[in-house]
Order: sequence, then C-alpha cells, then structure tokens
Amino acid sequence: MTDTTFEVRDIHKRFGALEVLKGISLKARDGDVISIIGASGSGKSTLLRCINMLEVPDRGEIRVAGEVIRLGDGAKPDRRQVDRMRTRLGMVFQSFNLWTHLTILENVIEAPVHVQKRPRQECVDEAVKLLEKVGIADKRDHYPVHLSGGQQQRAAIARALAMRPQVLLFDEPTSALDPELVGEVLRVIRQLAQEGRTMLIVTHELRFAREVSTRTIFLHEGRVEEDGPPDQVLVTPKSERCGQFIAAHY
Amino acid sequence: MGLLSWGDKGWGDELALATLMTLAVASCAFLLGLVFGSLGATAKLSRIRPLVLLADAYTTVLRGIPELLVIYLLFFGGGGALRFVVKMFGYDGYVELNAFTTGVIAIGIVNGAYSTEAIRGAVLAVPKGQIEAAKAYGMPPWTMFRRILAPQVLRYALPSLGNVWQLCLKETALISVTGLVEIMRQSTIGAGSTKQPFTFYACAAVLYLVLTSLSSLGFARAERWADRGVRRS
Repeated sequence: MTDTTFEVRDIHKRFGALEVLKGISLKARDGDVISIIGASGSGKSTLLRCINMLEVPDRGEIRVAGEVIRLGDGAKPDRRQVDRMRTRLGMVFQSFNLWTHLTILENVIEAPVHVQKRPRQECVDEAVKLLEKVGIADKRDHYPVHLSGGQQQRAAIARALAMRPQVLLFDEPTSALDPELVGEVLRVIRQLAQEGRTMLIVTHELRFAREVSTRTIFLHEGRVEEDGPPDQVLVTPKSERCGQFIAAHY
Repeated sequence: MGLLSWGDKGWGDELALATLMTLAVASCAFLLGLVFGSLGATAKLSRIRPLVLLADAYTTVLRGIPELLVIYLLFFGGGGALRFVVKMFGYDGYVELNAFTTGVIAIGIVNGAYSTEAIRGAVLAVPKGQIEAAKAYGMPPWTMFRRILAPQVLRYALPSLGNVWQLCLKETALISVTGLVEIMRQSTIGAGSTKQPFTFYACAAVLYLVLTSLSSLGFARAERWADRGVRRS
C-alpha cells in the first residue's frame, strides 16, 4: 500500500514568546517507521503532542485516516472529531502514564471497552494476547506501581496496541528508564517495526533509530533540518548542525 | 445503672434514638457538604473569575465564623428567608424550617467549605499524565471524569474527608440549641430531670466516641480500598 495514512502540514506552535514549531510538514505511508531526533528544545516532543492535539497547534493541518483537522485563524477544533482521531493514534508516553488505580489488564482494556465500546470479553482476550506479546502476561492482575519501568512501558505499549491504532506515537519511550531496562522496551518496538506498523518515534537512541526506521527526521529550532533514509541522516548528514548533533550523541 | 435501662423507667431507648438522630443529621449534613464541596472545588478550579471569587468568599466566610453562629443565623433568619421565597411563588401561609433541616443545612454548608478545600487539593494531586493519557486515548470528558479522575480524586480526598466527617459528627452537638433531640440534647434532658448530669454527659461522651471510632475504622478500610495500586509509604 502506498496510501498516505498520516500527514501533517505546516504545523506552528508557540508558547508565549517562544515559537517552538515553525511550520512542520510530515507525511507517512503505511508501514513507515519515522524516527524524529534533535536536541532538547528542538520541538520534537511538541510536534508529537501536536499530532494528537495534546497541544493544540496554532496553525496547520492534521490528517489521519480520513479525519482532517484544520487549525488557524482562531478555528476551534471539534472535540468529537479530535477524540475520534485520537483513537486512531496510539500514544506511548515517556513516563508511561499507566492509570495507577487500574490493574495492567484493566489499563489495556480501558479505552477499547469504554471509548471504542467493544465487547468486554473480546477486549480481554485481545489484551491477554498483547500482554503475552510484550512479555508480561503474568503481570495482568498487578497494579502499575508493582512493575519495573521497563515492564510498565511494555504494558503501555500493549495499551496503545489494544486500540488497534493506525499509527503509533512514541514520545521518548526509553528516556525515563534505567539503562538496563532500555533493551527490553526497544525489543518490543523493533518487533512492531518488523510487523510493518506505522510508527513515529521521538528518540535519543540514535543507534536504535538507524536500525528500525525507514526514515529519520532531524529537527532544529522548530524546523525540519534534515529528512531522509536513516543511513543518510545519521551517517552522512548534509547539514552541519545535524552532523554536530550526531557526533555528540552517537 | 438502672438509669440507662430500656423502657419506661430508663433512658436507654431515648439515648439510642438520640444517637440515631445524631447519625442522621451528621450523614445528611456530610452528604450536603460533599455536594457543596464538589461545587465549590469545581468553581475554584474553573478559572472563571466570578466563580472563583464566589467560592473563595464561601470558604473564607464559612471557615471564619463559629458554627454555632451559623446555626443561629439560619435558625432565626432561615424561616424569614423561606417565607419570602414561598411568598414569591404566591403562597401566603406560615412555613418554617424545622430543627432537623436547619441543622443539616447549617452543618452542611460549614462542612462544604472544608470539603471544598479537600476536594480541590485532591484534584490538584492527580498527576497530569493520568489525564493526558485519558485524553490521548480519545476519552470524552464525562468518561474521563467517571473512569479516571473521580476514582483518583477519591483516593487523595478520602483522608481529609474522613476528618471532615469527624468534625461533622461532633458539630451536630451544637444543633441541640435548636431543641433537636440528638445525643447532646437528650443528655441535657436526662441530666436535668434526674439530677445526675455526670452520668448522662459521660454516657454522651461514650456514645460520641463509639461513633467516631467506628467511622475511623470505616474510613481506614475505605482508604485501603481506594489506595489499591499505590505503595504505602
């Protein structure tokens, strides 16, 4: 399939006097794994949060699976449409954000049952399979606080997958983890990439980005500074700033 | 001890009834306080300036004047206000607030001021990420409130609400001034007619202690339940 499953156009976002995103456009086709890299403050997390409208862009357009949301000139986004779009985007947060009052299984079935209104038993069966897939089936009745960071993040990935999303968004999924726990989370993401999932990954793990992505984007001061195959962006970057960033982080 | 026996000769059954009355006033007032508290907290967190000011005025005034004074104001002023309101609806007869209603409203609005702060604090204590995750999964506002926010607010608010309930129980004693026969009033009556004040007031103290201890136990259980999934420090 070569259909565009996901596209953002000319996204602008300003926090007070600081313009964080200065017009970003991005297109993904089915099966694309796009890694977004850049220094802190470059706007990469804000971009991801603008895509699912956790931050409302000042201007721009977002298209996901038939939903088109246009922003600018004070246009208020339609809440129902935003909610509908969000169910197509599975978000994985840096700090996991599992719901603390629910068990792991309950976390995974929460949105499918209460947002998508799918039959509970079907959701439970699917959740169990997803928990097996991420390797924490034995933790289904535990509360998040009893899991390690790596296990919590894998549970959060299962929670995102349970929505059957069109695109998975990862916001620095390993940045809050102890170094020895990073591997288990990356393994799960790698497996998803191999299955052909469409994903956007904001990450500092350049080696990992090079290995799993089909495309890499380097953001600098709110603009796309470099965009191309990972081998090109991460090994032979054209821009000087991208080169410096990679030299410092690889 | 024959004084406290059941039946015509003793005061046991009267005191038992009075205890039920205390519980009834306290429960109704606590629930009313929760309603006021939820409204107050919503107003304070709304960032709509007039609402915030109104809620601030409410909590400042009602936490700043003695409960007894609130009861007097309501008892002596409430009837007039009520007659004024029903008159507007075209009814000319005589109506008044009975002692029970006065008590529930007075203690309810005072406790509502404390509940407002308890609930407001609890809402602020819920980590932002919990709400963000709910939003990111497309939860409409009501679902998010019901499934994510409310259970977590309850967890953070329960310890303070337990305190509000204890205060509520003890404040019901003040209602005795309006003639409502609850524990305090019944003890005064008993003390007066038997000339054994110490026996009756000691008995009242025991009854209050039983109520407060039982509710402490109840709240401790509720907190354990609400804290599932949170490591206790």
